[in-house]
Amino acid sequence: MKWLLFLGIFTSLHAQNKQLLYGFKEVPQQILINPGAQVDYNGYIGVPLLSHIHFNAGITGFSAFDVFADDGKNFNEKLRDVIYKLDSKDFFGFNQQLDVFSVGFSLKTNLEDRLFISFGMYQESDMFSYFPKDYAVLAYEGNQNNLNRRFDFGQLSVSAEVLSVFHIGVNKKIDSRWTLGVRGKVYSSIAHASSTNNKGSFITIPEANNNLNHIFDLDMKLQTSGISFLEESTKNDPVNVLRKRLLFGGNLGVGVDLGFTYQHTPELTIDASIQDIGFINYSKDVQNYALDGYLEYDGIQSVFPQINSGQTAQDYWDEVKNDFDQLFEIDSTTTSYTKWRPIKLNSSVSYNFGRKTEKECDCLDKSDPTFQNRVGAHLFAIKRPNHLQWALSAFYYRKILKGLQLKTTYTVDAYSFTNIGLGMSASLGALQFYIMADNLLEYQNLAKSQSVSLQLGFNYIFKNNEN
Amino acid sequence: MKIQSLFNKCVLFIFVFGTCLSCIKDTDFEQAEALTISPVIKVNLVKVLETPDSFLDSTGAEVSFISDQVVLEVFNSDFVVENLTKAELVFGIINSINKEFEIKIDFYDIYETLQHSFTIDIANSPSNIPLFTEYIEVFEGVSLTALKSSNKLDITISLSSSPTGSVLTSDSEGSIHLTSKGVFYLNLP
Repeated sequence: MKWLLFLGIFTSLHAQNKQLLYGFKEVPQQILINPGAQVDYNGYIGVPLLSHIHFNAGITGFSAFDVFADDGKNFNEKLRDVIYKLDSKDFFGFNQQLDVFSVGFSLKTNLEDRLFISFGMYQESDMFSYFPKDYAVLAYEGNQNNLNRRFDFGQLSVSAEVLSVFHIGVNKKIDSRWTLGVRGKVYSSIAHASSTNNKGSFITIPEANNNLNHIFDLDMKLQTSGISFLEESTKNDPVNVLRKRLLFGGNLGVGVDLGFTYQHTPELTIDASIQDIGFINYSKDVQNYALDGYLEYDGIQSVFPQINSGQTAQDYWDEVKNDFDQLFEIDSTTTSYTKWRPIKLNSSVSYNFGRKTEKECDCLDKSDPTFQNRVGAHLFAIKRPNHLQWALSAFYYRKILKGLQLKTTYTVDAYSFTNIGLGMSASLGALQFYIMADNLLEYQNLAKSQSVSLQLGFNYIFKNNEN
Repeated sequence: MKIQSLFNKCVLFIFVFGTCLSCIKDTDFEQAEALTISPVIKVNLVKVLETPDSFLDSTGAEVSFISDQVVLEVFNSDFVVENLTKAELVFGIINSINKEFEIKIDFYDIYETLQHSFTIDIANSPSNIPLFTEYIEVFEGVSLTALKSSNKLDITISLSSSPTGSVLTSDSEGSIHLTSKGVFYLNLP
């Protein structure tokens, strides 16, 4: 139970908002968020396994410090305070991405037209869970002080998945204003488990003569795929199984990302993208579990064999026991199922300013003629099982040098109103490195942070003649 | 220009120091060792509803007692033995029969050895008005150990004589209604 608590607090991490990376032109991985982003280099090769390492962590309602602060207070009281502070809309999440490989190059169809093709493969882990408050209260204090309270078993909503994604995208600058892009994806799910859309309740109703009626109403299910190899590890080498599934041997699905950039004026830019319009069909190594039943229990009737010969209270007890056994009997099936990927929306409006100009014309001057600054607002949203999770950011981008750019963001989301992030891209010749981190104000003590995000990577960039 | 330069310095400062100095401090994760969850579960147990006829034999004469037994493996299950810290059995009896009763509850282990026993006296109701009696048996210490050793529950309802009580016949009125609840205090490490 204790390790579960640790797991809950420290790996219960969150969404996939990449507000620092989104629109960061110098970092090629931005086109994975918006396939229609503006691209002003000829190509890139991501350093294998190092081109994009992303880790995002978050939890709403409390931080680890609220529970684990070394303040001399009783740990169980602090935990109880947190449990009562949270509600069933609070959530935990986790997202991690690792680029296996990533490549992009421009393809000239004629002198004017240019397509930018990019493809690659990444591994992703995602976990999301709402806080099942009624379960926590029932486990924490039982039903004695909660007579007439309906414990909602539908509050259990959790999903977790590890998958690999192969993708190929096309990006085309249509004219001086519009850039469009599309990215096709093939998903290969390595392992998946989800228990969502649950229903059910438990209630204890006091009745006449000090009597209690306990009502169980259960309609719950857990869908899993790709989990059994963990149990049967002696039959199959887990590493081989994982390798096979990583390379499209898992449950397959398809999806598409769409995006655009509209350059209204040289200063004003509007862009947006929708990611992961797609699904995965789970048909291999599927195990589904269902709990479905209704039971009212108000005690064991004593019948006294002297009065009703042959019958005892034992008969009633056996009947009650059978009823409970049936109620909690788990039905197992291997029926295939399909799940939609969590669809994501990104959009921003930005304003460029501060173009660097020389007072005297110098044709040999190689200084950067582009805008040095950009400010804007960015909106992120992701579809979660019971709600739309969103984040709104204001950002400022600054070119420090030709090979050094910074971006800072202020983000308001479900986790925090004080999230300041900072990203940097630095180039040394063709080698580019970037690092971006969220919630910098909390870095002095990460235990107080409700969300943390870090992404970094190395790329080899083939610049065009202009840059 | 000065503002831009200041901005540059500030962000570099935050970035470098924020990253280098990031840490988790003023926390004590060992506290989790002290985690205990103490739910209290309230659940109905045995119930009885009998009329005067139940206490008569085939000739219409009073019997001295009626009894019943139920095997409840839950009391000596591993979960209960490991986590139960206290228990209360709460009995509520409504008697509207003009007869005094003694209800005896016996707890036996798997070898049929008596582990614990208690009795509840129920007053007669001369005018057949429902009379309520509540009785709470608390299990702590030795009695809790006895409960955890038990797996059978015997209920015996004996008829008692009282100055105002009557001899039961098939025409006697009223009923005796018993409900019982268990309040189980758990401590889950």
